[in-house]
Amino acid sequence: MQSYIKKSISAIASIFILIQISYASNHSSEEEFVKTFSDKAISILGNTEISEQEKSEKFTSIVMSAIDLNLISKFVLSKTWKNATDDQKERYLKAFKTYFVNSYANKLNQYSGEKVKIIGSEVKGKYTIVESNIIREGTDTLQINLKWRILNRDGDIKIIDLNIEGISLIIAQREEFQSFLANNNSDLDQLITKLENINN
Amino acid sequence: MIYSRTITAFVFCLLLVGGCSSNPRSTALDSSLNASSISDPFEAVNRVTFSFNSIFDKSIVRPTALVYRGVVPGFVRNRVTYSLDNLNMPVTAVNNLLQGELSKAGIASSRFIINSTIGIFGIFDPASSFGLVVENEDFGQTLAVWGVPSGPYIVLPFLGPSSPRDFTGLLSTSLLDPMYQIGSDSNQNAFRSYRMGVGVVDFRSQNIEIFDDLQNNSLDYYAAVRSFYNQSRESQSLNNLETGSDLEDDIFDEFEDLELDDSYVGPDIEIEYSGE
Repeated sequence: MQSYIKKSISAIASIFILIQISYASNHSSEEEFVKTFSDKAISILGNTEISEQEKSEKFTSIVMSAIDLNLISKFVLSKTWKNATDDQKERYLKAFKTYFVNSYANKLNQYSGEKVKIIGSEVKGKYTIVESNIIREGTDTLQINLKWRILNRDGDIKIIDLNIEGISLIIAQREEFQSFLANNNSDLDQLITKLENINN
Repeated sequence: MIYSRTITAFVFCLLLVGGCSSNPRSTALDSSLNASSISDPFEAVNRVTFSFNSIFDKSIVRPTALVYRGVVPGFVRNRVTYSLDNLNMPVTAVNNLLQGELSKAGIASSRFIINSTIGIFGIFDPASSFGLVVENEDFGQTLAVWGVPSGPYIVLPFLGPSSPRDFTGLLSTSLLDPMYQIGSDSNQNAFRSYRMGVGVVDFRSQNIEIFDDLQNNSLDYYAAVRSFYNQSRESQSLNNLETGSDLEDDIFDEFEDLELDDSYVGPDIEIEYSGE
């Protein structure tokens, strides 16, 4: 049993070392993007010299420049988007943007000294999944797994989704919208009105 | 005694169902694909139970979690999280064995032995620094790996989101978890209550803002929580099947269709986002 433990420890340790080496020698541009983005975000969140208002504006602005909101807006509506009128589309895009800023981008109160550590990345179809861990403050090993779904269109890199411990935020949003529509006669106008109400 | 016999019978029936499916791998994948269309035939009843649970949460669990986080220093809270994680290792080892994951079972056992001794009853985690890291496994996940479908989404009073598969897993924990076999009956009960009570408060205290935001910003809080639960359980169940994110990737492939749809480009899309 003891030699088994020793063997598995050394096997696992060598795998970790290999991962470290391959990471150090070979970051993808998507990994660099996530690293730069999360460093910037954390430096804004951890900055005690600027006002809450200023913090919130800066944070929202870097989140908005890093994501493809247009694509996300369409995706969470799924098939309903295709059947919408131009007027509905315009109202929806405006309402969803404000809703998105309020519910996702503006999460300042949740930050408490965590660090983001990039583990690696893997290409899945047209996306690159960058895997990282958020490490809880005051510990080395209490961590949350975070996967970033990245779309790289010839060097124009955007974040499409965040997967937290197996939960995709965009898929959750989409299922919520679908459930709302299913319970409201598939009426997009009601969904838009509801979004506008939440925003105000 | 009758209680545990009923559970045994129930588990046995499920084993038989699982045994019938010729290819567990494809069955588990099928059930995960079904989950994308969300099986929720009891939605009306579930929503009532969900409202009840929300009131229970708002009046008891959330306030307790807030006080816990406010009064207990972060250092101690981290120790509690570690100790709860350590108590999960024996049942994780058993379930990894049942799933045929021998090396993971070995890692879970080693973690438990090292952290319970050198780590002082699990409040520190030296095992991780030796590279001994393993995800928690429960019997619900084992059933998933064996090909038992999750069944419809159900919301249980007090316990929250579940499925017949996960609820069976929960009931069988008392039979499978070595930690439940230790000590006299009264000790076991006290121990169980500690784990359950502290576990709930520990989990809730880590998620106060997340649930607050979710509740305030949701069009449909019930549907949001249902999606969180289903996605989370699917990914936990599939972590030993290595088919983890296939479903998610399929869903995201839909982006392609939508991108091609240039029938409308809103005037408000290319706006600058700063200073709003």
